[in-house]
Amino acid sequence: MREVAVIGVGQSMFGKLPEKSVAELGAEAVSAALTDAGISPRDIQVAYASRLYNVWCTAQDILKEVGIRNIEMVNVENTCAGGSTAFRGIWKEIADGHYDIGIAVGVESMTTSPIAGKLIPPEKNDLDGHLGMTMPAMFAMVARRQMEEQGATPEDFAQISVKNHRHACLNPYAQYKKEFTVEEVLNSRMICEPITLLMCCPNTDGAAAAILCSKDIAKKYTTKPIRVIASTLLSGDYKEFQKDITASPLLGKISNMAYEMAGCGPEDIDLVEMHDAFANEEMLRYEDLGLCKRGEGVGLIRSGATEIGGKIPVNPSGGLLSLGHPLSASGIRTICEIVLHLRNQAGARQTPNAKVGLAHMHGGVVARMEHGIVAGIHILAR
Amino acid sequence: MAEVVPVREGTFAEDAKGAKLLGSKCRSCGQLFFPQAKFCFNCFGKSMDEVVLSRRGKLYSYTIGHMPSTHFQPPYAVGFIDMPEGIRVFAPLKMTEDKPFKVGMDMEVVIEELWQENDKKVIGYKFRPV
Repeated sequence: MREVAVIGVGQSMFGKLPEKSVAELGAEAVSAALTDAGISPRDIQVAYASRLYNVWCTAQDILKEVGIRNIEMVNVENTCAGGSTAFRGIWKEIADGHYDIGIAVGVESMTTSPIAGKLIPPEKNDLDGHLGMTMPAMFAMVARRQMEEQGATPEDFAQISVKNHRHACLNPYAQYKKEFTVEEVLNSRMICEPITLLMCCPNTDGAAAAILCSKDIAKKYTTKPIRVIASTLLSGDYKEFQKDITASPLLGKISNMAYEMAGCGPEDIDLVEMHDAFANEEMLRYEDLGLCKRGEGVGLIRSGATEIGGKIPVNPSGGLLSLGHPLSASGIRTICEIVLHLRNQAGARQTPNAKVGLAHMHGGVVARMEHGIVAGIHILAR
Repeated sequence: MAEVVPVREGTFAEDAKGAKLLGSKCRSCGQLFFPQAKFCFNCFGKSMDEVVLSRRGKLYSYTIGHMPSTHFQPPYAVGFIDMPEGIRVFAPLKMTEDKPFKVGMDMEVVIEELWQENDKKVIGYKFRPV
């Protein structure tokens, strides 16, 4: 298996942009990544694209905008982990020696999708979904257990939203660049007790892209190749086998796989970008990813360690909560953010002397299965 | 009179004593499932027996929704109930005036109309504080 490096990253503006087509959003990200890598569209040998809503030749539609055609193109869907899946697809193509250089792009136009401004409706066969298990309801029930078992408070959840909104103010691509206080988060509209509106990620349009190549040829293009030291993607189990809803069985497995592949442990990670669709989810993932022990997520947020400038910054981009969450773009966008930090190009958000970063993405509801049925973890190093 | 249809066939029944939920149990390894499973997700055994779950369980978690879901207008309550058989059931909850929800409280199953759809009454299970 060959070593693979990221040589170019790019993203579009994130926000409510219904006037922009998926091709336009995607092309913004792809053009930015091509410019960042300093390569010609002619050099791209393979492309993977991910999109959840109205899937139809997304790669071909986007890449025609920059002149890329006549190459192998693959379109994938894997809910929120779609971007991670596309990135891993390109990683495999290059690691396995099929191609030397390729592009992964994730895109979503949420404001023009059938779920714009609505909760994601349940599938016909999803009994629990029809009985009222919406995404916020599920995370609210998890939050209740975090409060019962771990002593978490709604103020702690609000603090995560406050932190990520503060981070987003430093990110020119963010949907919401506005600071909030804990009180403002708690007093925003109640969605599912104790989850309020400002603890939920918004509807977002946007795209992100990454260009990968074999490590051997990376030096032709850049003096700062970022190595992909772990690429993992995994699906979860039947719900009967999850005893504790505050711990994801899937993430327990995949994070071990990722750390083993990378040859490092959570203590070696300098920053994390993760799926924080709901504020309390970030606290869960601190534990699932091993950033702290079980039950210590509350202490980690209270300590300030996960803020920019802290010991282990989490979501310095602003996260899904305030940078925004175009579903299939987020899995690549998180990797873009990690790459910027590892190159020391993250501006005011920079994690000092970052050497290793972890990008996590997670999602999907399937009847009978554990909540959050698919996850991707990538670990990158400079 | 509107036709009455169950939210899902084979998930519940009613007898003289009241409502009951129907799960299934693997004849080989004993793993329980709710709703019933066609085969055992644990050991892949194909012989499954229907089991009647207890009428009462304990509230594991809950929330009160303030945004409409597919079939419910706010405020509505949903939660997980841990059954004595060792299985967790997700269900709509009935809100009462005098018994606010609390993790660990005793809950009992009831069968009632959940919503109406295409001139049909959809009935199913809910849990209420004992």
